Amino acid sequence: MAHAAQSSPVARGSAEQRITARKEPRIGFEGKMMSPGLVLLAALSIVPFLALIAMSFSRVRLLGGVRLDVAGLTNWARFFTDADMWMSWLRTVVYFVLTVGLEMVLGVGIALCLFRVLRGRNILLSLLLLPMFAAPSIVGLLGRYLTDSTFGLYAWVLRSLGYTGDILGSPVSAFAAVVLMDVWEWTPLIALITLAGLSSVPQSVREAAAVDGAGGWMTLRYILFPAISNVLLVALLIRSMDAIRYFDIIWVTTNGGPADATKIVPVRLYETAFRFFDLGYAAAIGLAMLVFSILIARTFVRLLDVRGLTR
Amino acid sequence: MSTSTTPPSPTPRPAVADEAAHGRAIAAAPRGEPQSPLESSSRRTRWLVTLLIVLAMLWTLVPLAWMLLSSFKNRVDVTASTPQVFFTPTLDNYRNLFRGPNNLAPYILHSVLAAGISALLAVFLGALAGYGLARTQMRGKRHLAFWIISTRMAPIAAIVVPLFLIFRGLGLIDSIPGLVLAYLTFNLPFAIWLMSAFFAEVPSSLEESALVSGCSRWQAFYLVILPLTKSGLVTTFILCLVFAWNDYAFAVVFSGPNSQTLPIAASQLVTQTGIDWGQLTAIGTIVVVPMMLAGLAVRRWLVTGLTLGAVTGE
Repeated sequence: MAHAAQSSPVARGSAEQRITARKEPRIGFEGKMMSPGLVLLAALSIVPFLALIAMSFSRVRLLGGVRLDVAGLTNWARFFTDADMWMSWLRTVVYFVLTVGLEMVLGVGIALCLFRVLRGRNILLSLLLLPMFAAPSIVGLLGRYLTDSTFGLYAWVLRSLGYTGDILGSPVSAFAAVVLMDVWEWTPLIALITLAGLSSVPQSVREAAAVDGAGGWMTLRYILFPAISNVLLVALLIRSMDAIRYFDIIWVTTNGGPADATKIVPVRLYETAFRFFDLGYAAAIGLAMLVFSILIARTFVRLLDVRGLTR
Repeated sequence: MSTSTTPPSPTPRPAVADEAAHGRAIAAAPRGEPQSPLESSSRRTRWLVTLLIVLAMLWTLVPLAWMLLSSFKNRVDVTASTPQVFFTPTLDNYRNLFRGPNNLAPYILHSVLAAGISALLAVFLGALAGYGLARTQMRGKRHLAFWIISTRMAPIAAIVVPLFLIFRGLGLIDSIPGLVLAYLTFNLPFAIWLMSAFFAEVPSSLEESALVSGCSRWQAFYLVILPLTKSGLVTTFILCLVFAWNDYAFAVVFSGPNSQTLPIAASQLVTQTGIDWGQLTAIGTIVVVPMMLAGLAVRRWLVTGLTLGAVTGE
């Protein structure tokens, strides 16, 4: 091959040679670049994944060395018949819809407000973003401090408005409190993403709408929202995938209580695995959660595909 | 705009005058006139917007400010039944944190090591693999990308359970390397995907010309492409650092006396007998403030980073 190319550089052999010369090392180089990271990632994801499957069909013994005893479908049978478990899933769905829903509505609202601010928008946005960087466990602990019925700032505010209950002590208010703590932390993320989307709508488009006589609401409804719908979808998916990942806030505030009111699935899983050390059953729960999150990931990638971002 | 100040020659005059008039109209806009369609709002909506922003700022900042304030309060003020805004500040809470048997210093060290090393490793491996992923034309690239992103999205609870068993077998429980590996489960796929998004922004014609001028593939990457994605590298590093630093779910299972991190130290102050809220708010401040500063340092690239490259910044 090299011979042919040398003897007649412009001949048809060269085209073929160029393709092989370019393609062969190209795959090789990229492959070499990817391999260290991908090998480690495979070790950190595929091995645990297989272990998770194996565990979900076993009884896991920890004392005297780790051992898996085949248990067949026991864990799965329990999973599908456990009434408490179904309540947890239901609660998880409610928690998920409430947190993500509120964050989307408030985040978009804040972004629309900020979008109208011309001077000082950057500083306002920077300040609004701060909660996002706080460790969720600290947010939970801070929330506990603020809602403490004897000296909490927010409890004091509510008391002067006439509410005297123990916020984290009764089921409904505890659930509302952990939802609001999550909303406090993650609404800024939605606002940030939405604002980026709004800013990318060309000024000329908005001016044209104004010239055509579109009012504020019309511009919003027919110009801005359609233009940022993809961005909003990305925000929704990013938030959705993390909403079921993090449960730190609940873990440090109510620990699932009072009376299981805030016991969403990951909290129950942690309790099953690391308080009762029933790792087989925990693995079955974990696998079910994994399926749920993979469905979200699929949607995310398909969306990026449509927008041509994974090319 | 600058053209309007120079005396125009007779012929192009109408056009320039037009432009100047237009420019003046825009310049005049902020004073009362509607500037953009969204600005064409009544005074009432403008008041409403201001009010909403003030409310949002209060909702966002009051808890943080309260944490900061309380960390400087003494034992009595911090649990006063009427919240104290004016008080004599004291550094006792911070001082006590570094005193006695439960000194905070080792926790800080563990946090810095676990989060720092995992973030560095993630960025290093993520830059290599991200470049490969951005440039490869292999078949099944989409499936590969999907696999990578789905490992990032896997619920922590579902990863911790099998990892706990594996780490127990390997003796990685209660060790910094164990925590680093645990954090890589989410930081590595994040870094690969995000770096790949940053590399995809760099036109591949740049490497091609580097190759023509005699660079090897590695040199083209290292000398030409990598310096162009410096902001991407920094953003990826900082976000990985924040994710790992803020972790609680992994650390609560995998760490022990030799590896407990700051969030664990904070949660350990919560005991059956009572909570020293002064110290707790002090730890909270120590955990939260560095990450806020780091996060704001890369604010320009936050949108790109946090959407994994799906949305590009302002």
